[in-house]
Amino acid sequence: MPVLEVDGVSMTFGQGEHAVQALKPATFSVDGGELAALLGPSGSGKSTLLLAISLILEPTTGRISLNGREVYDNGPTGVDVRAFRRQNIGFIFQQHNLIPFLTAQENVALVMQLNGAGRRQAARRATELLGFLEIAHRADALPANLSGGEQQRVAIGRALANEPRLVLADEPTAALDTERGGKVMALLRRIARERRSAVITVTHDRRMIEGFDTIYHLDDGSLTAVTRTEEGRREGRAIG
Amino acid sequence: MDLALKDIRRHLGKFVATITGVAMLLSIVLVMNGIYQGNIADGVWLIDNTATDLWVVERERGGPFNESSRMPLDSYKSIAATPGVAQASPFALYTAQRDIGGTRQQFTTVGYDVFGGLGGPGRIVRGRAIAAPHYEMVADQKLGLDLGGRVVLGTHAYTVVGVTRGAVDSAGNPLIYLSLPDAQEVQYQQDNRALAAARSTNLKRLERAGYPPEQASRLLPLLSSAGDTVNAVLVRLAPGADATAVAAHIRDWLYFNVYTTDEERELMLAGRLRMMSAVLGLFRALLMAVSIVIIALIVYVLTIEKIRSIATLKLIGAPNWVIVRMIMEQSLALTIASFAVAYGLRELIVPGFPRTLTFLAGETAATFAVMLAGGVLASLMAIWHALRTPPQLALGG
Repeated sequence: MPVLEVDGVSMTFGQGEHAVQALKPATFSVDGGELAALLGPSGSGKSTLLLAISLILEPTTGRISLNGREVYDNGPTGVDVRAFRRQNIGFIFQQHNLIPFLTAQENVALVMQLNGAGRRQAARRATELLGFLEIAHRADALPANLSGGEQQRVAIGRALANEPRLVLADEPTAALDTERGGKVMALLRRIARERRSAVITVTHDRRMIEGFDTIYHLDDGSLTAVTRTEEGRREGRAIG
Repeated sequence: MDLALKDIRRHLGKFVATITGVAMLLSIVLVMNGIYQGNIADGVWLIDNTATDLWVVERERGGPFNESSRMPLDSYKSIAATPGVAQASPFALYTAQRDIGGTRQQFTTVGYDVFGGLGGPGRIVRGRAIAAPHYEMVADQKLGLDLGGRVVLGTHAYTVVGVTRGAVDSAGNPLIYLSLPDAQEVQYQQDNRALAAARSTNLKRLERAGYPPEQASRLLPLLSSAGDTVNAVLVRLAPGADATAVAAHIRDWLYFNVYTTDEERELMLAGRLRMMSAVLGLFRALLMAVSIVIIALIVYVLTIEKIRSIATLKLIGAPNWVIVRMIMEQSLALTIASFAVAYGLRELIVPGFPRTLTFLAGETAATFAVMLAGGVLASLMAIWHALRTPPQLALGG
């Protein structure tokens, strides 16, 4: 069963003669364990699509179903979007966006506490998660004292804190060199495979393209093509 | 997780510096409150602390504080004979500036009938009241005098037999109490050259009026009666006497102006104190407004600095109350801590402050409430801004 189903989702900004269709009706689905990329040049609509599947912007038309629950069906379905997002989606940002006055461990634990976990339980699980990301030794460091790569790993830890079924990453390798970018890609793949999460990455970083299972090509607001990579074929993925 | 507290702990230096700056400003507001109330307290201190029911002064005069008043010394006797008057005492009051304790000091001298008359020092903190007809004084401790100290005023030295605390005139200058004859002597005493000049002038005036020189010399002492005047007569009413009726009687039959203590107070507040109080009040209001604006700006800037973090919090699904709590807590912490430090600074400033500072608990509480309201208002503005911040601000480079 797909983790994310997007069916005829479109986005139009403005009204009347000022209306601009930023995303033409797009349909696709992403399974658990799948690592997908939204690829396209600036203005292609990939960020708009990301905002729609992040449940930040309400799509103008279409249906979005996440983890078996319909969130939009040509309009809201009554789901508390912010709470649903907190419970089901993890975010990884290009600039990491760690809370600067919280330590690495606190940044990860915060998301768990927002989801109702107790302070001690959140701290213990955050430490475990940082261990999984091989950065437990930097748990008490503030973001300003972490390297770019370390910050990225903490940000990934935060994204995984509530064990979300969907992880969305916005240009996670754009600010990294090829070696570090490759490590992040490997980590995202590991997350997808081991945790059975669907991982969708917005990127225009063609260096990392081969690391994905599926690539959704966007151009001028349209989903123009879907490519299954060698990695995806090895995993036995069909075009969604 | 208390995000506000975490932020404060991680940026403690910045937070402390901000609190110190705001606290210094707030301490000025608090001291201004003290100056404002102190100005009023000083202005009416002598009126409130002179145990009298009526103040009798020269006709058509608003004395003895707001303008000069001169009355014949003997007038107190006819006032004492008025129905409803239990006691009437002469009272002299004038401001002087002399060398005391090696420094030039301004003070007000009060002359009163030391043998049971009204107008003497009410609360003596050390020593005793004046018991001798001459050369004893009671002085306020602000002059730096102690018991047994001697002060030369004019041609005589006066011994301090009693010390008061907080006895001041309407300008905040300390008071000196003397016996009435001593006070009159210090006030009117002239040096020999001035006396000779006055005598010569009076002699010529008598000769021009047609008196032969020998007769003019004999009449001369009658013209030098400067010491026979007082500035007011203090009246204590007989039990059950109607103050209005007694005042009307004195006004109509003895041709003096009469004020009750409340009226004298009103005269002072509406006259001498009005302008200064208005100026101080204006400064106080301006300082308070500036303080509120600064607190508001700081709270707003503290929020704007975190706007990307706030967008991130919204994006990862943090409920609004988490953001509201963070902003509100920081705002309250800033305001409350600043006020507490300001209060401490005020306590440090008070002992060395050159003027009387009077603090009213209600006014201090009101100032705190206004500051707190300003802080809350500022945090509401910041919250409004934060809640309008789109979560997508966290995305992108």
